[in-house]
Amino acid sequence: MINKPKLLTVFDILTALTLLGALALILFWTPVEITMGPVQKVFYFHVSAAWAGMLAFVAAGAAGAGYLITRKLHWDWVSLSAVEVGLVFGLIAILSGMIWAQPIWNTWWVWEPRLTTTAIMELIYLAYFILRSSLETPEKRARLSAVFAIISVITVPLTFFSIRLFRTIHPVVIAPGGGDSAFSMTPCMLRAFLISLGVFTILLVDLFWHRYRLAKLNYKNQTGEN
Amino acid sequence: MNPFNRYLKTIWQIFKKDIRVEWRGRQGIPVMLVFALLIVFLFNFALQLSPDLQAELAAGLLWVALAFASTLGLNRSIASERENNALDGLLLAPVDRSAIFFGKSLSNFVFTFLVALILLPVFSVFYNQNMLNLRLIFIILLGLGSYTSLGTLLAVLSIQTRARDVLLPVLLFPLALPILIAAVESSRLVLGSHPVSDYQSWLFLLIAGNILFIGVGLLFFETILEE
Repeated sequence: MINKPKLLTVFDILTALTLLGALALILFWTPVEITMGPVQKVFYFHVSAAWAGMLAFVAAGAAGAGYLITRKLHWDWVSLSAVEVGLVFGLIAILSGMIWAQPIWNTWWVWEPRLTTTAIMELIYLAYFILRSSLETPEKRARLSAVFAIISVITVPLTFFSIRLFRTIHPVVIAPGGGDSAFSMTPCMLRAFLISLGVFTILLVDLFWHRYRLAKLNYKNQTGEN
Repeated sequence: MNPFNRYLKTIWQIFKKDIRVEWRGRQGIPVMLVFALLIVFLFNFALQLSPDLQAELAAGLLWVALAFASTLGLNRSIASERENNALDGLLLAPVDRSAIFFGKSLSNFVFTFLVALILLPVFSVFYNQNMLNLRLIFIILLGLGSYTSLGTLLAVLSIQTRARDVLLPVLLFPLALPILIAAVESSRLVLGSHPVSDYQSWLFLLIAGNILFIGVGLLFFETILEE
């Protein structure tokens, strides 16, 4: 049995504290946006979650390449953990965006480029899990999932580009400005935003680390290694 | 024989073999065709299309029908290689494996393209507009080219899993989405007699998709099949 590393415990505490700090900052320190009101505050964590999700998926693709080159199973655990954590962040981004969109756009859902791309990304990585679950041998599972993770990360920009092109040619019904161009940020807002980005990156690393340990323990448990 | 000619000949042989199998068994094209037509009818009832809406949606419906139907052909084409371990025989052949990928992609592409060619006059009748348009055929060529090369790769991937062919659409549709969007939009603009400048960025996207997915196939086909 592997004990939980001390550094990880330290990191857990750091994550919790910075997350609470960022939350306090957003709730009590940033100004209320004039036109949108308090709901605008969703924006800080919303964009940060989307950022963390994106980062995780790119990491998953890179880890896939790492596996195919080195054929070391720990790259597969990295890839799996990154995808799983990334899926959660993507879901947070979508749900928080919907909460913001309901009062601002007067609808829960708009077929807007960023929104649609994020949703499709979630579907791609759900497919990744279905693929994994129907493969049994660890090496084969690692190999095929790695290929899929790499293809996925290549097509995501293509998807984004195509949907954006789709919407710029079409007349736009509801201004798809999104959080950052629909209003101008004060320096105070910008600072809180950048801090949120940092905090979510820390949260991402922390969750990823836990998930990676789980993948490793799971493997050792199944193969009976120590 | 120089290596390049030998490579081309390998692709040709695999293609020829698939044509012969298709000619004798007729399990690919007819199934795809009937399925595509069924989709058209299902959509008609599901969406309650009025005549003027139909014309507007014809391009979209054509691509949905092709995208769905081609998964059947793709699965069939790869599954038939598994019967009697034919795939092992192919892999044992002293040829470059990427040539096998090209051969299978080529036959999948040609079969799906044939289905599209048969669908065009049918759509013209159903949706009351001339869809036998050379520009549209060119777009179908580009769209199906990238779609079937990605599809062939993912069909080979999904056949390796426990879920087998059930997995293909789940893997293929989200990844092929940019191709389908580009194909639908450019087809729609062509049918609306828009000038080329209106849809040339979509054509570039389709060409980029071809290069990308053929490249991906070349890169990963061997990795997927290694045991």
